[in-house]
Amino acid sequence: MPTDTKRVRGPDVSQSPSLFVCQPADGVSPQGPRADGRRRDQVDVRPVFVRCGLVSQAKGSAYIEAGNTKLMCCVYGPRETERKDETDMKCGRLTTDMRFAPFSCPERGSWIQGSQEKDFSTMLQESLQPAVCLHKYPRSQIEVNMMVLENSGSVLAHAITCASLALADAGIEMYDLVLGCSLRQNGASYVADPTSAEENDRGPDQSRNQGSLTVAFLPSLNQISGLQSDGEMSEDTLTAGVRTCIEGCYKLYPLVQQVLSRCVSRAACAPPPR
Amino acid sequence: MEVCGISNVTLRDFSCEQSLLSRPDGSSSFMQGDTSVLAGVYGPAEVKVSKEIYDRATLEVLIQPKVGLPSVKERSQEQNVRETCEASLLLSLHPRSSLTLVLQVLHDDGSLLSCFLNAACMALMDAGLPMSCLFCGVTCAIAVDGEIITDPTAAQEKECRALLTFAIDSKKCRVMMSSTKGSFSVQELQQCIAISQKASEKIFQFYRDSVQRRYSKNL
Amino acid sequence: MAAGFKTADLLEYYRRFLKENCRPDGRVLLEFRPTTLNIGSISTADGSALVKVGNTTIICGIKAELATPTVEAPGKGYIVPNVDLPPLCSSRFRPGPPGEPAQACSQFIADLIESSEIIQTDDLCVERGKLCWVLYCDLMCLDYDGNLRDACVIALLAALKNTQLPEAVISTETHLPVVDLEKRHGLKVCKHPVASSFCIFDESTLIVDPTDEEENLSTARITVVTEEGDRLCAVHKPGGMSLSGQKLQECINRATVRQKEIQKLTDKVLSSVKTS
Repeated sequence: MPTDTKRVRGPDVSQSPSLFVCQPADGVSPQGPRADGRRRDQVDVRPVFVRCGLVSQAKGSAYIEAGNTKLMCCVYGPRETERKDETDMKCGRLTTDMRFAPFSCPERGSWIQGSQEKDFSTMLQESLQPAVCLHKYPRSQIEVNMMVLENSGSVLAHAITCASLALADAGIEMYDLVLGCSLRQNGASYVADPTSAEENDRGPDQSRNQGSLTVAFLPSLNQISGLQSDGEMSEDTLTAGVRTCIEGCYKLYPLVQQVLSRCVSRAACAPPPR
Repeated sequence: MEVCGISNVTLRDFSCEQSLLSRPDGSSSFMQGDTSVLAGVYGPAEVKVSKEIYDRATLEVLIQPKVGLPSVKERSQEQNVRETCEASLLLSLHPRSSLTLVLQVLHDDGSLLSCFLNAACMALMDAGLPMSCLFCGVTCAIAVDGEIITDPTAAQEKECRALLTFAIDSKKCRVMMSSTKGSFSVQELQQCIAISQKASEKIFQFYRDSVQRRYSKNL
Repeated sequence: MAAGFKTADLLEYYRRFLKENCRPDGRVLLEFRPTTLNIGSISTADGSALVKVGNTTIICGIKAELATPTVEAPGKGYIVPNVDLPPLCSSRFRPGPPGEPAQACSQFIADLIESSEIIQTDDLCVERGKLCWVLYCDLMCLDYDGNLRDACVIALLAALKNTQLPEAVISTETHLPVVDLEKRHGLKVCKHPVASSFCIFDESTLIVDPTDEEENLSTARITVVTEEGDRLCAVHKPGGMSLSGQKLQECINRATVRQKEIQKLTDKVLSSVKTS
């Protein structure tokens, strides 16, 4: 294994203390109320806290907090494409980079970008691209940098919302905002906006209809820009799930609008930026 | 200086050879006791577009340890050496060009950072690059009993309470670079600086002698 | 008009301000930006802190893991600090492995931990030669506006003080470690080092807590780390314009005052977290 020479190195092997806990933690009960008091089979999403324009160096930035899930996103650009061979004369490029901070998950992560982070980056890019008027930015690239500060479930869904807010804050022309919502199907019942414990819960019976679903939704156009599902779900369950997620996105919409308009009015009052 | 009456500063035997490598534009090997560093300078040469600076030359410093790959520690030493060289070199005379300084550790027996600086200065001189001043490196170790040892060996470094390395310029004899380890008082710091300034006189005299010797041989 | 002048000749723009003993952001030369501290905001970490010095934002998360001590130091644990400057924090950093500024800062923090002995590594030993704690201190910059080192040191200290280690023992029957995540105890943080960074403009003007712009324009940077009892544990000057002993003393004097201010702030925030 190649050693990482660009970071301060610790011991070669170290294990998380949770491996040595005497009694394993109780699993999530498949019935009854959820651990945080929300209701099952309802579009009961966690209340979110959203802020725009926090990072001084970025063109646009956004921070979102849903329960314990904390995400930060910065947008840089439009600027000249880094690689000349990828320059597109007619259309701009949207690049995304999503990373988990090493301390963001219950188990310490590595600094090196893993395959999951790469998958999430791609999914984020694909969900956002339809909403951005890239033809307005020929020969340039717009960079979306996402950092997961704490992962407590539904990361991708909130990342989509956060990134579209940051893009809007950066003044990038868009057709619509993109909102994200996810759902976990567990047999006949489902939980909206699952926490990480609920996401990893495999359920007691190996019944059908087990899976996760994340939807990226353009609320004012009423279109879906991204759909990601894994597990095994029947056609009916999946369509019902998509509807539930859309409903979840609509719950988020007024708040997101409000934050954005407040941010714009504040920028209008403030002296011109440097 | 507040501190007076510094007894004679003792340094290990120094030796230096310039232009010993044929490929680089300037080279030197510098020995302080058993610590030995080989330096090579390339440039001014063409620079990569991504690293180009429009009004001055880009200096790159690479430190190669005796064994293995350079790590974070080497990277921080590179930064120290690079920024010291940048301050003494007249980089604006070579805009949009590159300078590369490679430092190879041959043996480490303490005071390595100061040896890097000395080897770098001799190599830059050998390359004939225009400089506003010369610089030299001095390492001071503060022993547990408070005694200050200049140019310590690896064994002395291990036992000491604090280790301070300074780069001193030849023009005003002031501190260009400082890198420290361990904790110490303000007075000890000032004392170490004063001793280093005293030691720098000796080192600059050594620079002069060795360059003189070299050119008298060539003529 | 002023904005145009700034774009045309930034250095001259700064010189005009510095001549009047003030800075474009309204500070006097030896004034720090407002510093705020938030502790324990990341629940997945064993200890965490978020620091803002002006716009510069650093988040530090500490994760504890178990490992075998080295043969050379069987009674000691490990502290592994790493600083990362992700592309998120400024447009100048690219994605990929850390560049020179991040690596140099990581080494600076590692040296500082060793020099000041913030934590006795003996305290991290669970059983001699068999089991010890590794504290992974990951510092991440979220907004880069100069003076990275000062913010990193404050974040690290506050996060270490916030860290609660779970109880771990080696079971006598199975000879395997047993951990109780419910029973936790704090770390003994012995020292309180605080860093103060300065920049030198045009050979003589000394300013404290430089912004990114000021750092780029200056001719030399210097970081002084002081702890209680006016002791120094680092005087780091990576090069640049040479500095007289008198200017250095000025830096040290300011740093000593700053140490007291930050220690007070940290204690205040810590106690407010405890009482709430």
